[in-house]
Amino acid sequence: MKDENLRKIVRKKYSKIAKEESSCCGVQSTCECGDTPEAKSKKIGYTEEELSSIPKGANMGLGCGNPVALASLKEGEVVLDLGSGGGFDAFLAAKRVGEHGKVIGVDMTPEMLEKARANAKKGKFKNVEFRLGEIENLPVADNSVDIIISNCVINLSPDKERVFNEAHRVLRDGGRVMISDIVLLEKLPDFLKNSVEALTGCVAGAMLKDDYIGTIKKAGFKDISTVSESVYPIGSLISDPKVKSAIRKYKISREQVRNYAKKVVSIKLSGIK
Amino acid sequence: MKRRLLEILACPMCKHHPLELKVFDEKQEIEEGVLMCEGCGRWYPIIETIPHMLPDDLREEIEDKDFLKKWKKELPKRVLAKGKPFNLEE
Repeated sequence: MKDENLRKIVRKKYSKIAKEESSCCGVQSTCECGDTPEAKSKKIGYTEEELSSIPKGANMGLGCGNPVALASLKEGEVVLDLGSGGGFDAFLAAKRVGEHGKVIGVDMTPEMLEKARANAKKGKFKNVEFRLGEIENLPVADNSVDIIISNCVINLSPDKERVFNEAHRVLRDGGRVMISDIVLLEKLPDFLKNSVEALTGCVAGAMLKDDYIGTIKKAGFKDISTVSESVYPIGSLISDPKVKSAIRKYKISREQVRNYAKKVVSIKLSGIK
Repeated sequence: MKRRLLEILACPMCKHHPLELKVFDEKQEIEEGVLMCEGCGRWYPIIETIPHMLPDDLREEIEDKDFLKKWKKELPKRVLAKGKPFNLEE
């Protein structure tokens, strides 16, 4: 798939999700249907207190979760959230860094930003700001950010190398990235990889774990460590119509699809500039 | 957009910083305005408080030109005539 197409598909898909106000079944391949965004977030590791402190609608249940990154934030820090969506993590971060800190969310989907803005108003946040922008071309000054957080977004980028180069550029020396993302332990077969549904559900755009870490290293980050790693709850992959038809077409067993699904992991990484 | 958060804003294309701000409408926040880059001559609209900081290939020519027309009286001549990626004269 051409990069340009990929970007357009991702933008379109997420603008639709923003309008529908629900992620469930919007992102079929990763979504445990029936779970509300709140239930899903609790499974990922956000606390009840965190979830209740945020305007309703900000949590769209689209992320793979990054409570660890949020826990590391200190008063007064400047935080950049790549792919801020409805603003959920940005608002949690804003509470942590307090009035002397600031949080900037960048997202390329206008409809998502519209939501985030409405949520910011509802929550009366003074230290959060959202920008329509692209994570491959960050509208942020060099050496100006203390910490970059990103929750299940970078895998959607067709140019991850550039995303990490940009992240490195905008961080101050000693600044850190704390990202959660989807990576693969093994290559997926094309029928899964090319499925657009799978892509926007974080799967097909995902890189091999070692390559992903290699890309971060190449961008210049030090002390890269895996904070945690777990198999992504991808149970409904098998009910994706495109996957279903591929199963018939290529005569693959459901068991095989399940095994592939185990190669998709949610990973939390940190690194220092 | 809040003025306080302007300081770390940079041009997404040439990375120039700081950007020049012109405000058209301000309430608690800057509702509408424009951010201009001295480095490369690009301009970025602020619409309904959100700075639109997209790279050229994701911008919409028609929408951008509509914005220029809407604020024609307020916008500096150089943006209207030579602003990148879109302007009203070239």
